[in-house]
Amino acid sequence: MWNLYLPIAGTSINILLLFGLGGLVGFLSGLFGVGGGFLMTPLLLMAGIPSTVAAASDSNQIVAASTSGTYAHWRMGNVDFKMGFLLLVGGVLGGTVGVQIIKILRAMGNADFVIKITYVLMLGIVGFYMFMESLQALRKKGVVEPKRGEPGKVSIYVRMIQALPWQMRFEKSGVTFSVLLPLILGVMVGILAAIMGVGGGFVMVPVMVYMLRMPMHVVVGTSLFQILFTCINVTVMQSITNHNVDLVLAVILLIGSTLGAQIGAKLSRRLHADQLKILLASIVLLVMVQILFSLILTPGQLLAYKGGH
Amino acid sequence: MTGPSRVGQGAAAVLAFLLALGLAGAAGAAAAELQLVPNEVEIGAFFDGAQVKLQGAIPAGAAAVVEVLGSTATEKLLRKGRRGGLWMSVGEIKVENVPSLYILQSSSPEIPTLTATATPWGVAALQKVVKLSGSLEASEQGKFFQEFLELKKHEQVYRVSPGVLKLAPAPDGGSLVKGAIALPAKVPAGNYRVRLSAVLHGSLLSQRDAPLEVKMVGFPAMLMKLAYQQGALYGILAVVIAIVTGFIMGILFKGKTEH
Repeated sequence: MWNLYLPIAGTSINILLLFGLGGLVGFLSGLFGVGGGFLMTPLLLMAGIPSTVAAASDSNQIVAASTSGTYAHWRMGNVDFKMGFLLLVGGVLGGTVGVQIIKILRAMGNADFVIKITYVLMLGIVGFYMFMESLQALRKKGVVEPKRGEPGKVSIYVRMIQALPWQMRFEKSGVTFSVLLPLILGVMVGILAAIMGVGGGFVMVPVMVYMLRMPMHVVVGTSLFQILFTCINVTVMQSITNHNVDLVLAVILLIGSTLGAQIGAKLSRRLHADQLKILLASIVLLVMVQILFSLILTPGQLLAYKGGH
Repeated sequence: MTGPSRVGQGAAAVLAFLLALGLAGAAGAAAAELQLVPNEVEIGAFFDGAQVKLQGAIPAGAAAVVEVLGSTATEKLLRKGRRGGLWMSVGEIKVENVPSLYILQSSSPEIPTLTATATPWGVAALQKVVKLSGSLEASEQGKFFQEFLELKKHEQVYRVSPGVLKLAPAPDGGSLVKGAIALPAKVPAGNYRVRLSAVLHGSLLSQRDAPLEVKMVGFPAMLMKLAYQQGALYGILAVVIAIVTGFIMGILFKGKTEH
């Protein structure tokens, strides 16, 4: 009696299982500002949902979770709309470029190799760097936040971004730099996200923290704001071109995830920035290890359906 | 001889069945008879697979074989292989004439085969129909056909179950076949053919076909129609539902915890 038929996926699934999955991923979304697609899609695959439907319906679910999360963070004053908008514009441009790159790679026949390697490298580098950085910061408690200025040492990166034109003040994030910087970084993350077939939240969050020097709490809210728009676009495009969005699946997931996102947002407020970072880094590293294993171990089946990542 | 009985009209089905039996008896118990209850399965909002009851009659002493076959289509699958020591998709394999569903059952402990002619059912018969092409060597055909079977079995849409059909003596001297076809939740809507064959000493005595229809009704049918005919509207609807739910949840939480 707890099973519901998913018309687009063409199979039935337990409602409570879906609700729980949604809750878990929504919780992580509200806590870290990531969409959670990199977790949800594999979980749905395990539950027997076809990969294309899993990815498309998940983007619909993320719309709800990120609306819920953005709203919660906005009430706490944690969304830098100006920054989010610039990153979004860059992300859309980058996404378009990334899709073309994938087309060329597919024609050359080694798309999957590039995708998998990019995935492992990105997750590995981002996860490892975040983990080490926040571990160091946690050890010498107290001198964590003021570290950002670092007046004595001016790196090449800082000199480069100071040389860029159109300097602008971002009030919410408390930083000043060129309009071009978030645009360029947005393009880069957009390219990566399109190549990997994910929303890019787990790349965007570290970019905001380390390259845009934004405070962690603003990063989470701003990232969610940007993910919201990316996923609205994906949902509508998937519905028009591939008819892959399963509304029944998405609705059950999103009831769970919007609830989870609220709890996550609340908890993110209570946790220290470095605790948040080290938790996210651990999850990112776990996913990396899991993908690495799937690349090394002989798969159970040598044939698979197309789609997904 | 299979009367057009519908779901829920059990009495009519039984009557038709008895009638069919009587006729079979009159014909000297030579022909196989087949009756499905229901012969039309509906996929509604809570569909989780279905059981179709099967009743038939075959000549005495013969073994029964039931084959359920869905409509065929071409599928494109990804082949996994090693590149630089790592496993990933290395090419595409086109598979033609793929039945959407394949269920094979028998009354004997093993699926009977024919000796004089090629057996028209079973894995070997399927292998003759299903064509694999694309990024695979001629020598890999057999291996990847097995992989294809594994994929379909894993999805529960291909199943071979020897010995699940029950035989009982019929009043006319023939055998009564009873069984059930378990349609998985993944069964696609469409028209299916159920075929009952009677086999004795490696030769085919008789065959009988019955159609089985699986169709989407109610809410799932409505949603499918909207998704495929009004893609843009469907996408916008999905986004609006998501945003509204997100906001409602946000407001609910605000009310509960902060005030």
